[in-house]
Amino acid sequence: MLEFINVNPSSGDPIYKQLHEQIVRLIVGGQIQAGEELPSVRKIAEYFTVNPMTVSRAIGMLVDQGWLERRRGQPTRVAEQQPQSSEQGQTLLYEGVDQLIQQAKQLGVTVNELNEIISQRWEQ
Amino acid sequence: MTTALLEYKNVHKIFNQNMVLKNIDLTIEPGMVVGLLGKNGAGKTTLLRSALGLIEVDTGEVFTLGENPTQLNTELKSQVGYVPQQAFGYEGFSIREALDLHSSFYSEWDNTLELDWLKRFELNPDDMVENLSIGQRQALALIMAMAYRPKLLILDEPVASLDPIARREFMLDLFDLSLESGSGVIFSTHITSDIERVATHVALVKDGEIKLFNELDELKTSVRKVSFSNETAVNLSDFDILNTQNNAAIISGYKQQDIAGVNHVSSLSLEQLFVELHA
Repeated sequence: MLEFINVNPSSGDPIYKQLHEQIVRLIVGGQIQAGEELPSVRKIAEYFTVNPMTVSRAIGMLVDQGWLERRRGQPTRVAEQQPQSSEQGQTLLYEGVDQLIQQAKQLGVTVNELNEIISQRWEQ
Repeated sequence: MTTALLEYKNVHKIFNQNMVLKNIDLTIEPGMVVGLLGKNGAGKTTLLRSALGLIEVDTGEVFTLGENPTQLNTELKSQVGYVPQQAFGYEGFSIREALDLHSSFYSEWDNTLELDWLKRFELNPDDMVENLSIGQRQALALIMAMAYRPKLLILDEPVASLDPIARREFMLDLFDLSLESGSGVIFSTHITSDIERVATHVALVKDGEIKLFNELDELKTSVRKVSFSNETAVNLSDFDILNTQNNAAIISGYKQQDIAGVNHVSSLSLEQLFVELHA
């Protein structure tokens, strides 16, 4: 599953946040299934060459929020019961959409024009 | 006593009437990997050398493993690792001879680690030290400073001459040292992406002062560039202002709140922050 994740240390976003967001997306999008094992913090840190502390922070948050389950002496797994929210998939798009809206405003593109552009591109 | 491995308290240093270190307060605890970022001449090397007792500070105090660094006993010295900007010494020795001599000073020397790293850095033990490239010398200096798992590791531009793969592997070693051996690491560099990968904390040094010291994750969450069209309509009193520019400011202490009069808030990579602070 690590090959689905892209960590960019030189982004303005902290690494733990990038990991957190992408793992949530993979779970919501069904690319990783309930019950699936996650590599250890150490493996993840080695794979991306990032400090294990920041990986551990991301995993800790995902466990706290119910996306992942951790049992003593066992690998961390994707939780059987996902946090309840039918809107999850959509709220995950907010950040990207906000950026798009900001760019549209800078270019003087109206909301109707933007909707039009999205519909056109969606079909491609 | 605290658990601090290295502590600076209100440290000042003057060279030729120039204040090269100003009011430095900094504490390094076990598990911390502190990236020291600053321009050439910002005071990074002076800061690091004062922790080794190679430079005496004018006012304030430095505690290295709890002691005055100019008076460290042999026992404590053998728990500190240091790689200077320019590796030196051991000309006339082969790598093998140099390592044998060097390791004899350290009772905690790990021979397995030494052999692993020689192989990894592709160093041939029979090669003479004076024939090594700069990168190979740096690799040898890293082995010499790290194979006894020092409690405190001080690195001055440690990886500038290593290739990207050797750099990455070296970073993994730093994690092992900081997390498994509970050591503290402080390293200076210009390569911001290395700090972003490795460091738990960042200290930004400008003109001899630490402008900002924070956890890296926290820094990225709380430092922002804000832009505005009318300076007088903006109130930034809730924040630490790190730098001001024409119709923009770099602030710390941002918590996702709305700021009246601000048109745009953007997050910054470490490199962007570094550049913006010097703009």
